[in-house]
Amino acid sequence: MSSNISESTRKPQETPSSNTTTNDAGDFECNICFELAEDPIVTLCGHLFCWPCLYKWLHIHSRSQECPVCKALIQQDKLVPLYGRGKTQTDPRSKPLPEFEIPHRPSGQRPETAPPAQDNATNFPNFGFGGFVPMASARFGNFAMSSGIGGLFPSLLDMQVHGFQNPLQYGPIRHGYGPRFSSGFHGGHHVHEIFHSRRGNQEYNLLKTLLLMIGIFIVLVMIL
Amino acid sequence: MTSPSASSRKALSKIATNRLQKELMEWQVNPPAGFKHKVTDNLQRWVIEVNGAPGTLYSNETFQLQVDFPEHYPMEAPQVIFIPPAPLHPHIYSNGHICLDILYDSWSPAMTVSSVCISILSMLSSSSTKQRPNDDERYVKNCRNGRSPKETRWWFHDDKV
Repeated sequence: MSSNISESTRKPQETPSSNTTTNDAGDFECNICFELAEDPIVTLCGHLFCWPCLYKWLHIHSRSQECPVCKALIQQDKLVPLYGRGKTQTDPRSKPLPEFEIPHRPSGQRPETAPPAQDNATNFPNFGFGGFVPMASARFGNFAMSSGIGGLFPSLLDMQVHGFQNPLQYGPIRHGYGPRFSSGFHGGHHVHEIFHSRRGNQEYNLLKTLLLMIGIFIVLVMIL
Repeated sequence: MTSPSASSRKALSKIATNRLQKELMEWQVNPPAGFKHKVTDNLQRWVIEVNGAPGTLYSNETFQLQVDFPEHYPMEAPQVIFIPPAPLHPHIYSNGHICLDILYDSWSPAMTVSSVCISILSMLSSSSTKQRPNDDERYVKNCRNGRSPKETRWWFHDDKV
């Protein structure tokens, strides 16, 4: 061990990675271990650390909850993880941590996503209606009325599905906390409710009754 | 509890070794003004020459600092002492122990040997009298068995010097 150390002290310049990091990647070095931050985490005061380094300092070695760089108070729920594009070949949770049990890095807070663009909202009823009319007229020209009627109502359902697609993708997500990917799906439920209560409800009902009346009318015509 | 001598102290962890190599490299590129690292093979103990800053009570004087790193550096502070003869200063004992909060309670892992050196030079430079601490004799007697200053319970009371 000691021989290793002495050798490295004698010729430290020969470590190429260190040379580059001191110059280029210094902005992304942990303020504790001075290496490229692993599981990077940023404090509200803007200081970058490896999550394991910061955790060990705050929970094992330090008597205070201060930022090691500027002494600002650190609140664990206000730490921000940095999610780069870099590789995570192994599940970090399965990584055995020597000596200490270090919990999983805090996950990012997820603010609500931006609301869908205004255009989308106004276009939607038109789209639904426009989609319906040609279909209905096509059926009218058809003698196979029963299938035409059958086609009318599914088209309504179709419209609903189309309507939901946008909010699912862009709509607000409430539970933007927790694992990155699953949150989108959790949020879907809320989006559903918001969508219904907020807009298109009245037009929707109107459209529904209108179609129902037309349907009844056609049935009556057939019977007669 | 006696201070572990350099030979019996636990070897540096891998993290500590990596960090010290980086610090040494940065030191070589950009050493703090007034300091000179004495080249040795021992990464765990640095000996640093300090020149008193010009225009202060210690100008033209040279001292030697000995910095010993614990296994879990930088989570734990290094032990920094002057190799006697230590500068005459109200916060420096004749055995070389330094009463400076950042070496003990206020240590932070973001500090470096370089930043510690600058703090010590600043402490020297701001001194207005060349004298030993009041309790020098008593303290040094207590440390006679080689106690580390890190085992002392320091009381930091002076924010001027």
